Amino acid sequence: MILSALIFIPMLAALLLILVPKEKTDLFRWIALAASSIQLVLVAFLIQNYDQSLAGINQAETYQFVEKFDWIRVSAGSYGILEITYFLGVDGLSLPMLILTALVGLIGVISSFTIDKHVKGYFISYLILLSAMTGVFVALDFFLFYLFWELMLIPMYFLIGIWGGPRREYAAIKFFLYTFIGSLLMLLVIIGLYFSYVTNPGAAPEQMVHSFSMVSMMNQQNLLPGSLLSAEHWRHIAFLLMFLGFAVKIPMFPFHTWLPDAHVEAPTPISVILAGVLLKMGTYGLVRVMMPVFPESWLYFAWGIGLFGVINILYGALAAMGQTDLKKLIAYSSVSHMGFVLLGLASLSTEGVTGAVYQMFSHGLISAMLFLAVGVIYDRAHHREIDGFGGLAKQMPVYAGWTLFAFFASLGLPALSGFVAEALVFMGSFSQPVTQNLAIVSTLGMLITAIYYLWTYQKVFTGELNPKYAGYPDLTGRELTMLSVLGAAILIAGIYPSLLTDLMTSSVNHLNDLVKSAGTASAGLN
Amino acid sequence: MTQETLIQAAIAVLLLPLVSYLVQLAAGRRLPRQGDWLATGFLGLAFVLALTIALYFLSAFDQTLVYSANFQWLNLGKDWSIQIGLKLDNLSAVTLAMVTLISFLVHLFSIAYLHDDDRYATYFGYLGLFTFSMLGIVLSDNLFSMYMFWELVGLSSYLLIGFWFHKKEAAAASTKAFVTNRIGDIGMWLGILILWSQFYTVNLDEIASGIQNGQFTLSTGWLTLGGILLFMGAVGKSAQFPLHVWLPDAMEGPTPVSALIHAATMVAAGVYFIARVFIILTPDALTVIAVVGAFTAFMAATMALTQNDIKRILAYSTVSQLGYMIMGLGVGAYSAAVFHLFTHAFFKAALFLGSGAVIYAMHHEQDIREMGGLRKKLPVTFVTYLIATSALAGLPLFSGFLSKDAIIAGGWGWASFQGGGWYTLIPSLGLAAALLTAFYMGRQVFLVFFGEPRNQDKFDHAHEVPAVMWIPLVVLSVLSLFPVFSLNPLAGDSGWFMNLIPSLQSVVPGVDGAARLAGLAELTHHAHWTTVVSSILMTLTGLAIAFVIYMKKAVDADKLAASLRPLYLMSFNKWYFDELYEVTVVRGNIVLAKVSAFFDTFVIDFLVNVTGFIVGFFGLLVRKFQTGKVQSYIAFAVIGILVFFVLKGIL
Repeated sequence: MILSALIFIPMLAALLLILVPKEKTDLFRWIALAASSIQLVLVAFLIQNYDQSLAGINQAETYQFVEKFDWIRVSAGSYGILEITYFLGVDGLSLPMLILTALVGLIGVISSFTIDKHVKGYFISYLILLSAMTGVFVALDFFLFYLFWELMLIPMYFLIGIWGGPRREYAAIKFFLYTFIGSLLMLLVIIGLYFSYVTNPGAAPEQMVHSFSMVSMMNQQNLLPGSLLSAEHWRHIAFLLMFLGFAVKIPMFPFHTWLPDAHVEAPTPISVILAGVLLKMGTYGLVRVMMPVFPESWLYFAWGIGLFGVINILYGALAAMGQTDLKKLIAYSSVSHMGFVLLGLASLSTEGVTGAVYQMFSHGLISAMLFLAVGVIYDRAHHREIDGFGGLAKQMPVYAGWTLFAFFASLGLPALSGFVAEALVFMGSFSQPVTQNLAIVSTLGMLITAIYYLWTYQKVFTGELNPKYAGYPDLTGRELTMLSVLGAAILIAGIYPSLLTDLMTSSVNHLNDLVKSAGTASAGLN
Repeated sequence: MTQETLIQAAIAVLLLPLVSYLVQLAAGRRLPRQGDWLATGFLGLAFVLALTIALYFLSAFDQTLVYSANFQWLNLGKDWSIQIGLKLDNLSAVTLAMVTLISFLVHLFSIAYLHDDDRYATYFGYLGLFTFSMLGIVLSDNLFSMYMFWELVGLSSYLLIGFWFHKKEAAAASTKAFVTNRIGDIGMWLGILILWSQFYTVNLDEIASGIQNGQFTLSTGWLTLGGILLFMGAVGKSAQFPLHVWLPDAMEGPTPVSALIHAATMVAAGVYFIARVFIILTPDALTVIAVVGAFTAFMAATMALTQNDIKRILAYSTVSQLGYMIMGLGVGAYSAAVFHLFTHAFFKAALFLGSGAVIYAMHHEQDIREMGGLRKKLPVTFVTYLIATSALAGLPLFSGFLSKDAIIAGGWGWASFQGGGWYTLIPSLGLAAALLTAFYMGRQVFLVFFGEPRNQDKFDHAHEVPAVMWIPLVVLSVLSLFPVFSLNPLAGDSGWFMNLIPSLQSVVPGVDGAARLAGLAELTHHAHWTTVVSSILMTLTGLAIAFVIYMKKAVDADKLAASLRPLYLMSFNKWYFDELYEVTVVRGNIVLAKVSAFFDTFVIDFLVNVTGFIVGFFGLLVRKFQTGKVQSYIAFAVIGILVFFVLKGIL
């Protein structure tokens, strides 16, 4: 039951908040903090009891902490039995994401302590969001997955639309519509998959069980002969439609423009959650669903996926360099860094895929730190114009130090987590013929990223102190806590990556083997 | 000593500066004297340990002695894993001692030089980080951790060059240094990737034996390319053409830092790295390296001729001397190049710290036109500076002569090994640079220490520097004398250094490594005496010209400059590299960024919004059907069902 607890504790806390009178603003904060701390403790318990040798992916029996109940089961006569299950489980792909969600979720709560508008509504939305995100990472039933996926949208819409900046409504609607269209495409394919797979192939038609279980759809012997998705071209089309749904969330060029708008308008803690966790949903969908369910399509489109990864890396970095708003710059740098995930996954090598998942984790921490750092200066100066500052390092040395740390983490300095991820992605994609040319081009991203971060640092923090900012206080204890906790995590993940990769290795290797072998086996499909 | 003790000692040497960094960062301000004694003490201890290790290797005097330790850094459940580790051999052992010694002396010197700085504690922390990163490169036995420490050197140089970040120039210089280095690092990283994709190991010995056994399945052209890419890393760090532009600007950092960057760390890293990968470089790659090195040695020497900032002259001199080392490696004079790395480290550290002493005494005046006659005021600084200058200029009886001579002799040997022709251009450039070096150093010494004071006020206030500053100068200048390295003042190859660290044999398939090594050695030997004579002549000529112009004033320097105006401007403006890069690379980058940002907002996002608008427009049309009347909904439903059945009948 631990996974259900993990999902629903924030939601229960949200219910509790409904009962608390509106004036008790501090109580909301502490309840949210407690709920999110409990989540972190539960995740620690998961890590403690996790068996690294088990792979998960397409083997239902090697998932851990599994909870599986029939939820809905109807007989549809000659069509077979329609089934929806409440199916949760953890493997080496989801565990790192749970760690990330719990950690960034907690940091987000701490960061939300400064919110003083409609505090009750804010924390209720925030906690529901936390539940939904956790749910996405542990759901193994497509129906459930989709439910949580859609559930994320609603609180996020309000969090941006009510607590955001001046253009919050535009940004919130744009975010909502964009991701919603993506979800619809996904739903379409989910239904197609549902009717094309059964969990007991070979049974009599009346006994065939159509299930939303993702795990069952990852085993190609469960494919119903003659069904829609048994035809290769339909599979490719379904793949592309669903890919589009996830691509919006990553966000992949050219579907990324909702992100800068959403970030610029969102309040700091929501930007932290958005960049830290929400962006990982798209790429998580790729590893959890796209690669194992459509292995042959993945192989077929691998180069194209890698190409879009490289476009993300380079175009995102160049666009970041062209920004004048600090938060927008960091939003574009997210676009750039998520490109590494696509490139790594396209390589289908152990290093590349490990690097991709590592990048999801690492970018979650680093971007959370970056957005917190932007929040610090925005709270004081109420603007984010890169050219409007100058010499802040003199006035706020501790803040400058941590910002520089985050910048260097993001530009891939060794001993910090981003380097491990990007190095592995480069190694993996360079050593595979499919992605070798892409890997070579993408190294340019290392340069552009260094340029825009160091220029930004130079403009904001060095030179003579702009007298407008004399007297600004350095980091508060709360800000320092958040930045240093994330910094420590980034440092540990950078120096001692085995801590995390050991959790992932079995699953990543199994996923790779599955995609490669199923890809060759499917040559027989028509 | 057992192998384990040695390895543990080496790890302690590596970690002591890191501990110093962490302590200074966390508690430096709260410690008595802001912890300068602690940081200096840590480095002193590291030096003692490193010296012990070096002496152990020296006393064993075995060219093949190697101790290494490995551990697994990342295992991804495959039949390969990323192993990183450290390797102690003659080269790393003596380099360890050299780096820690110079770092220790720089710490000592800084106690006086920076005593009233606001961020005194932080400064010592950064010195520790810098030393740690450099030691990491020295000890690494693999490309991966080398690359990691390599980037950390980039970070530390960024922090130290930009230490006085309130100065715009310092902040810009630190960014420039990091970004320029990154260009080289990308090449180096691609080189590592080529080797990784072939061998699935980053360990240098394993890569070398893989290449030797013909397991490099790509063509030799790829191996050459890989070597040149790796070399790009050194081009960045060791400031070779065309990435040399960051180094002179790096003078914006505090002067003791310049001594550390330009003598023992960072710039030495590039040369050291090429020495480490030397055996896997193909002859073609080596030729490229030789050409770049020789050209850089000459080019930077011409830039140094006309500079007026005492530190900038030394900066271009560093670039030029690094060119010698790189050229030495390129022509296969491995041993000589590494030797020059050492001799240069000591005398250049002496020069930079010496210039620091002069600047300190002159109350932060750096323009040599404002100096003059300082030998009376700064006797200790003067004598040590003179010794180091003699070593740099390449006068016999000083260390620099031994190593520079060996490189140029190696160049001649290589040129004849390659069959003469244009190849002789390489050692010729080296010789020409020797003349230029003697000239610009002569000019500097004459203008700074001799003649009449040109700024009486500053001269009157100048006084000899305190002991913590002159002791390092004395130590370093003693280490610039010939007996330290060789008892024969005219032949470096008879000394302990070149015998302890001999040239290495190529493992590249298709190259007869042994024959090449022997052939080069033989021809180099033949070239020895002519080189000795010619390079002494060059040095004396250079000094004589400087003497005539700046001491005797027989020729007016300004008139000379005016009569050679195009050449003068070319030199004074550093061949216009900064201007060239500004209009091409920097501007190009900005334009590209602006275009991308514009494109994103006004094309991509515009299309998104147009799509949204069109959808919204149709929404308005559809809204007309939403009348709210149940009857019309039923009517729509019936029509819909009818249409469905009709369509079904047709299809």
